[in-house]
Amino acid sequence: MKLLPVFIFSFLLNALAVKGQGADTLKRPIAVQLNVGTQGIGAAVNYGVYEKLALRLGVNAIPIKANDVFKISGFNSTSHVSADFYNIHLLADYTPFKQQPWFRLVGGFAYFLKANGNVRIIPSDDYKYGDLTLTEDQIGYVDLNVDWKGLAPYLGLGFLKTFPKRKFNINLDLGTYYLNKPEADIIGTGILTGNSSQTEQFQSNIKNYRWLPILQLNFNYKF
Amino acid sequence: MRAIRSSIFMMVLGFIACKKPTENIKIVVDTDIIKYTALVQVTDAQTGNAAPANATITVVGENAANIYEISGKKEISLVQGMVTIGLHPNLAPTAEVPINTTVEIAAPGYTTQRKNISFTAAQRQQIVPIGISRVGNTAPPIVVPPPPVYQDVSLNFTGTCPNRPDIEIRPSVYVSFKKTGGTEPYRYLGYMDKGNISTNLLALGETYDFQIVYGGQSYIVAQKIDQSSYNLTLNMAEACNF
Repeated sequence: MKLLPVFIFSFLLNALAVKGQGADTLKRPIAVQLNVGTQGIGAAVNYGVYEKLALRLGVNAIPIKANDVFKISGFNSTSHVSADFYNIHLLADYTPFKQQPWFRLVGGFAYFLKANGNVRIIPSDDYKYGDLTLTEDQIGYVDLNVDWKGLAPYLGLGFLKTFPKRKFNINLDLGTYYLNKPEADIIGTGILTGNSSQTEQFQSNIKNYRWLPILQLNFNYKF
Repeated sequence: MRAIRSSIFMMVLGFIACKKPTENIKIVVDTDIIKYTALVQVTDAQTGNAAPANATITVVGENAANIYEISGKKEISLVQGMVTIGLHPNLAPTAEVPINTTVEIAAPGYTTQRKNISFTAAQRQQIVPIGISRVGNTAPPIVVPPPPVYQDVSLNFTGTCPNRPDIEIRPSVYVSFKKTGGTEPYRYLGYMDKGNISTNLLALGETYDFQIVYGGQSYIVAQKIDQSSYNLTLNMAEACNF
């Protein structure tokens, strides 16, 4: 994993070195971008450093809420799922082949201000304890929480040109962030309070959930 | 729309990883629903042995309708002279107003006896020993000496459910004990809170039977005491009725 920042840095240096030779003819286009994809919706500013290299500074956000996505076998329950990912990112778009300007290598970093997922599981049956029918508060719920907040490198491919030929174009990103090692916990209430004892197992299960795949459509407007 | 949201969610959170997030995670259920409890221990007053198997207990008088067996059942019966009763979970005594009730113990050949039990805000658990005497027996009750004290031992009990390996029970109940193979009756060890009990009544090198009475059933597990902490498992079918 430590090799990834070195690779990105080398790739930027290489790009700068190559394009420094043609600095006389340099154009530095600027475009604004709106995007939509698996990391939600976002906006960015694209700046052409050299013909083959552009930098992207932007933000993305994805607040998702869904019900009953998550089921536990043999346990009748409803679930409320939420995920909130907010990041600021700086990406470099490198076009390695002059004859194929539609193909880009993309690398960079994002800082995830917020990157958490929560699943609340609520037993859906009337819970009988002997001859007693328990209230919702007495039954309680279980929260599974995961937090990936922090710095995450990004590597991917870009398809179609970085900048519009005229004013407007669309391009595509396909890549992945490698997120921080997640911090996970389980919190229970009511008769489910004891489920916090399962935190260690949950943390172990979730520790390799660090790849955040990105498939993103970008709409660019050049000034 | 829900399908789209679900798909996006699974894409975003369904990172590339092999392990299922819930793999090997159990559903842990606590049994401390009835908060104010009393362990009723009925013995033959003259011998100290457990009450006869056909002894019965009846809750009578004030608040009888609000008294339940610790498993939440309205049916209350003695198992080897023991049963835990408690207040309906929606009821709680206050500092000024305790909640009182009366239990009546009857057994063929024995004098029926009544005992008042008071649930107070200051005491969530209590032991209520009741000695019953044979009809016509006027001998004084036997005095059982307190058990000897040893080093501290911590016992962690986990209840399991037949056919439900995904569920674990954290029992909050009274525990009794006796030496394995011994002829003496079970004696009170302590109250197990959410599966854990610490005690200084167990001797190193001895093997004990630990018993809990729950839902009209007796659950027993044996353990030799060689160290300061043990994890023990009880198959608690009566706690799995959900």
